[in-house]
Amino acid sequence: MWLWFAKLGSPKWFYELSSKWLPWLVVATVLVIGTATVWALLFLPPDYQQGYTSRILVVHVAVAGTSLAFFPLMAVAGTITLVWKMKLADMVAKNAAALGAWFSFITLATGSIWGSVSWGTWWEWSDSRLVSMLFQFFLLLGVVSLRSALEDSDKAAKACALLSIVGCINVVIIKYSVEWWNTLHQPASPVSLQTGSANGPEFWIATALMILGVYLFLSVSLILSTRNEILQRERRALWVQELVAAER
Amino acid sequence: MLSASVKPSTRSAFMLTLKRDLLIAFKRKNDIVNPFMFFVIVISLFPLAISPEGEKLAEIAAGVIWIAVLLSAMLSMDSLYRGDFEDGSLEILLLSPHPLFFLVLAKNIAHWLVSGFPVVIASPLLAYMLKLPSESYGTLMLTLLIGTPTLSLIGSIAVALTVGLGSRGLILAVITLPFSVPVLIFGTLAVQASASGLPAGGYLTLLLALLAGSLSLAPLTSAAALRISVS
Amino acid sequence: MNQITESSPAPDAPLPGGPLLEVRDLSCERDERVLFAGLSFVVDCGTVLQIAGSNGSGKTTLLRILCGLNDGYDGEIIWRGESTDDTAESFVGDLLYFGHRVGVNKILTPLENLRWSAGMQRTVNDQLLLDALAAVGLRGFEESPCYTLSAGQQQRVSLARLRLSPATLWVLDEPFTTLDVDAVAQLEQTLADHARQGGAVIVTTHHKLTMPSLSRLTLGMS
Repeated sequence: MWLWFAKLGSPKWFYELSSKWLPWLVVATVLVIGTATVWALLFLPPDYQQGYTSRILVVHVAVAGTSLAFFPLMAVAGTITLVWKMKLADMVAKNAAALGAWFSFITLATGSIWGSVSWGTWWEWSDSRLVSMLFQFFLLLGVVSLRSALEDSDKAAKACALLSIVGCINVVIIKYSVEWWNTLHQPASPVSLQTGSANGPEFWIATALMILGVYLFLSVSLILSTRNEILQRERRALWVQELVAAER
Repeated sequence: MLSASVKPSTRSAFMLTLKRDLLIAFKRKNDIVNPFMFFVIVISLFPLAISPEGEKLAEIAAGVIWIAVLLSAMLSMDSLYRGDFEDGSLEILLLSPHPLFFLVLAKNIAHWLVSGFPVVIASPLLAYMLKLPSESYGTLMLTLLIGTPTLSLIGSIAVALTVGLGSRGLILAVITLPFSVPVLIFGTLAVQASASGLPAGGYLTLLLALLAGSLSLAPLTSAAALRISVS
Repeated sequence: MNQITESSPAPDAPLPGGPLLEVRDLSCERDERVLFAGLSFVVDCGTVLQIAGSNGSGKTTLLRILCGLNDGYDGEIIWRGESTDDTAESFVGDLLYFGHRVGVNKILTPLENLRWSAGMQRTVNDQLLLDALAAVGLRGFEESPCYTLSAGQQQRVSLARLRLSPATLWVLDEPFTTLDVDAVAQLEQTLADHARQGGAVIVTTHHKLTMPSLSRLTLGMS
């Protein structure tokens, strides 16, 4: 177990292993997302209230669900960085923060597009999920900007690790306090804010497939960006130089 | 020379640090006065920007006061560790034979006494100017009394993380402000509840829970952040 | 690549319980640059270790690592027979660090500064502090704000901590830089006295030190 753990910390080992896995993961990602998209666009029956707009929910729900995974992921990676000083964990965390910010942004964007049709507004403060997603987006941007502000990479790694752990706790507190706040400010408009109120099983199967696809996509992006990071940080290591020489 | 000395207790190290920080604050009066003036001025701008009508002001009073508190707390936080970082006192603090938790707590308390406490005291006056119903003055003061130390404790983490940055600029705000959302929500909800004659005890309890949580966890995290920044 | 040259023999009698501080196979990489590697040395009670080396050879980093301010290293640091990770509290209580930034607040007076910086390590009273300030040549400046003092005088405020500290190990980073000739001689005497009384000193300086039981470690020689 410990040997495996120590091995995982080695960037070289990760790079070589991911080289083997990556093609399969990419194929799986394309297949799953492709199937889910085709299903959602061609076969999903229109919602009786929302019509074809409900189809964007397949993407929205999948991305939103996935974006909730970022802070826990970064907190775990941060703990590993602080406790075991594992470089690989920090490389993953660094890319996860930026990727998480993008995912939160896409969640907000797809949510607004959907909202513009079914609620008649692009932004609705009375939906607590949107509001807490907005603050998760801000918190992730905070981690990204702290990373870019600190020049010393070692210091940046530890500082961001700590901020991610604190942020992870805070995201949960913010989520509950925003929900609380929301129940006390009842929306003035009579629109129903229920998302999948009338969605049938086809919708949920498509969504489940899309969630799987987005997670696969997330893994592929994380692996790719981590591999980049490895090459950049280990560019002086012998194995990287041999690799580059072989490519030429 | 070496034998006659006694290691001070953690309590006296705590008191020494508290006294030193208070002394520095009183000698450098700008650090106390400016954030406070900022707080008063920001609040005075709202009626000009919105409306002099009492009803409208009363509706936004709680929110305006709380946001002004957030912003002025953030501005004053900036000086919490910076001086000590720049002159090397932080290294003495980190290498003292006492739990860093209590020393950080002492610095946080000293900072709150000179920046948070005056705001609590002045809040009824500003609440009056914003036409907040007088029955909520008590609740407002209570929420600020519980909320401002929480903000100081949480803000301390971000200040400790960014203390080594040459040009911090607004990064402190970007990191700290989202963190203060729960305090802001429960603080304003409590005041609004009391203004409309509802009980505010529940929110105060939640604020107290936030204070208890940050009192036990934030100094530890700040201490870890300081170690990272000084390394 | 690093070497210790003994300019005079260390005291013969080894202290019970092994050396005060032992460094085993220490290496440090900073921003992908190897500062030093495979560094091993021993600091005994009663000795002064001068760390020399050109600018950027990692002297300050080494001192900060020894004190536990920087943990970006590989290797072992043994304090009185145990790793410093396990003995942090007792180690720090027996250590005095003097850094580039001397730890003197400019708003406070020398007396107020020492009351805190020396008072964190041992209980002090004002008479002790005044004596220490007088000993470093700051008589008459005790109550002036430190921003009115010169850089050398501010450094003396911090060096007054040496006279108050109960610590066995002194780790001093360039303590001679802004001092005048008299103060340099006095500080050298203080270091020698500390070693004679059973303390140990690790000091970085480009200054040529002459004192008994001095050894020298040069960084960055390859």
